[in-house]
Amino acid sequence: MAQVIADRRDVDFVLHEQFKVSELSKHEQFAEFNKKTVDLIVNEARNLAVKELLPTQKIGDRVGARFAAGKVTLPPEFHKAWQLFCEGEWLAMPEKLEYGGQGMPRLLSMAANDYLVGANFSFMLYAGLTHGAGKVIEAFGNEEQKRLFLKNIFTGKWTGTMLLTEPEAGSDVGALNCSAKKNDDGTYSITGTKIFISGGEHDLAENIIHPVLARIEGAAPGTRGISLFLVPKYRVNPDGSLGEFNDVVCTGIEEKMGIHGNGTCSLTMGGKGNCIGTLLGEENKGMRAMFLAMNEARLHVGLEGFACATSAYLYALNYARERVQGKHLLQGKDAPSVPIIQHPDIRRILLTMKSYVEGMRSLLYYVAYQEDCASITDDAAAKARHHRLIDILIPVAKGFVTDRSFELCSQGLQVYGGYGYISEYPMEQLLRDSRITMIYEGTNGIQAMDLLGRKLSMDDGQLYLDLVAEIQATIDRAGQVDGLAECTARVAAALAKLDQVAGHIGKAARSEKILGAYAFAHPFLDVFGDVIVAWMLLWRAAIAAPLAAKQSKDTAFYKGQVKSAEFFTGAILPVTLGKMEAILAGNEAAVEIEDASFGG
Amino acid sequence: MEILVCVKRVPDTAENEFTINADGSDIDRDDLVYSVNEWDNYAVEEAIQIVDRVGGKVTVVAVGDEDSEEVLRREMAMGANDGLLLADPAFADSDGRGIATILKGAVEKGTYDLILTGAQSDSGAGQVGGMLAAMLDIPYASLVDSIEVVDDQSLKIGREIEGGNREMNSIQLPCLLSIQTGINEPRYVGIRGIRKVASVEIPVLGSAELGIGGAAVGSAGARVKRLDYFVPVLGAGAEMLEGSTEEIVDKLIELLKAKGGLK
Repeated sequence: MAQVIADRRDVDFVLHEQFKVSELSKHEQFAEFNKKTVDLIVNEARNLAVKELLPTQKIGDRVGARFAAGKVTLPPEFHKAWQLFCEGEWLAMPEKLEYGGQGMPRLLSMAANDYLVGANFSFMLYAGLTHGAGKVIEAFGNEEQKRLFLKNIFTGKWTGTMLLTEPEAGSDVGALNCSAKKNDDGTYSITGTKIFISGGEHDLAENIIHPVLARIEGAAPGTRGISLFLVPKYRVNPDGSLGEFNDVVCTGIEEKMGIHGNGTCSLTMGGKGNCIGTLLGEENKGMRAMFLAMNEARLHVGLEGFACATSAYLYALNYARERVQGKHLLQGKDAPSVPIIQHPDIRRILLTMKSYVEGMRSLLYYVAYQEDCASITDDAAAKARHHRLIDILIPVAKGFVTDRSFELCSQGLQVYGGYGYISEYPMEQLLRDSRITMIYEGTNGIQAMDLLGRKLSMDDGQLYLDLVAEIQATIDRAGQVDGLAECTARVAAALAKLDQVAGHIGKAARSEKILGAYAFAHPFLDVFGDVIVAWMLLWRAAIAAPLAAKQSKDTAFYKGQVKSAEFFTGAILPVTLGKMEAILAGNEAAVEIEDASFGG
Repeated sequence: MEILVCVKRVPDTAENEFTINADGSDIDRDDLVYSVNEWDNYAVEEAIQIVDRVGGKVTVVAVGDEDSEEVLRREMAMGANDGLLLADPAFADSDGRGIATILKGAVEKGTYDLILTGAQSDSGAGQVGGMLAAMLDIPYASLVDSIEVVDDQSLKIGREIEGGNREMNSIQLPCLLSIQTGINEPRYVGIRGIRKVASVEIPVLGSAELGIGGAAVGSAGARVKRLDYFVPVLGAGAEMLEGSTEEIVDKLIELLKAKGGLK
């Protein structure tokens, strides 16, 4: 059997050759994580993923989460997988040891999650949300909240969620109605209904901890009056034992297009007036808390989408190598049929998938790596610069990556022909599962607005300028590498054009042409992401090109890196330049068209 | 109980497509994903469980190049106490007897009550355990699928017999057992275990330290030499089914029905 989920050589290339993860071990914080440890961790993440999690992927889809009488039950296979996952302590890999984390570099945890999430995304969603809830408590909880909750969450004994969405408050969180009334003992009585809550109710763990956005009675309307509360399914006694049921009732789960293994719940809190929460952080500062937790959550969603794409690529590649169908174009009609990988159109699809998967893997790992770099430096300016790079790349890592990942799943399905469309094969599930990543944790439209409306102009444009300087540094390096002149020139031209587009649309967004600018926010995110992928592929090629010339067991891999860069810059980037022209042209029809003229 | 478990680094069958190399002498080993031999992993798990029950220590040993250190470290992360790498250029291309000779050198450096090997490895010969036991002149049982420590003198062991039968034996310590898969459910390696062995130095012993002469091991000492390695040509009446697994299964069912094997 060939490799599944992620190409190990590619994962190793990004870890060791592109970002040199072992060098982080020179710093005390990551001293344990030398190359041998890094390799063992990736080995064992892959081992658990392939042997235990991957077999539950289809079961999760077919059996799914089931709802009856206020309870959600998961397939039995999920329970064993959860037990093994928690025993291995994979849930809070980069978090502090004192709270049940493993203190590893985020870059390394990204590689481990590449396999784990790729093996069963709906299962790993329980872990991702639990980790996220723990992060919120770690950042904003008081010592008592940390003592009572954090270790049980980071070890997976209890799971976590995030309760934001309400029927009338989706992308517009400020419209929420969930209310909190302060009690004499300092706790709050919570009342309200939340919907679309992933993992809101299940039988994997004995308790579920919900960070909840709610408005304290009398607080200001909109986002300024929102506070964050910690609401457990079962109350937790001062000695850490479980107390009484906390009146958090699951009233149903959604029938969804994908991720059937994860119950998407409607939760009613305080239906019997008996739901108690404690404040996380300060009153009316709930949105600020959410924003601080958001970067990590959005990066994780980017990885979820990406995990579907990398799986789709390897399935498609293996299928194309096995599936014999049709004659080679250069051979006669009497020649034997050939594996479909020999057909030019299939090769085009596969190289499109390969180059995007590689570029996006590098992008996601790069963002995690910036977190590590920020955490090991004492230089405040350097730290701030790493955070600026993270901030500007988050909407790309979430929005662009999940958009492209869905498209790549579709391309991979195409390689299978009719077999891709039937449930016997894995492609249609990957396509369905990946689709949600474009929607939740802020739709990709929101991500595009975040890039254009906030990140591009934040700190007087310094985030963008820092990023451009990073890309330019790679262009300068690649310019010195034999055989990469054409690729380098193409990336340089694309960066110059992007600079022009960013200036144009950024200015429009701050003018009376704001509507026209925002109508192109998503296309801007799209071209922005393509330039980032081109940057990453050029970076990879600059490492690989000199090595590709030497004969070794890795020659084919290194040649493949150069071909990815050649293909992307030569066959995809020109289309991106065309899209940039469209943004510059700034057609305003979408803004001008009258509502009635849409027809219908 | 002092237990020595012999382990080997092999290509991972779950994650590789195997092809014959250009000169037809072996599989193409470039770009393969490697892991610990599956049978050996069961043996390590069994050793850890025995030590958990009766006390003692588990040492894992491998013959191989420096890359084999990763499987030793992995088994130590799983719970083995010590590792020992037997590496020397002179060991390259040893036959089964040569490998047993090298292992014998390591066994004699310690005092082990029990030695475990996997029932077989990627080469499929299943010969090293038996040869090593003979060289050490200790009792040997193969295809062991259960172990019960009776006292510090003997074990009660179960063996898998052809046709699905089993037998129980009493065996005196010290002894050597080759372990069959299914004897237990090997644990997964967690991050904490890996971190514990992150900085452990694994000793490396070569031919000089083991007191092994060059004529007994390596290519020079090999009395079994591979002459050829190939995928058998199709014989008369044989048909290779091609396509995806599902397609192959469909064709197979069709053929079985056509030939009367399935109604």
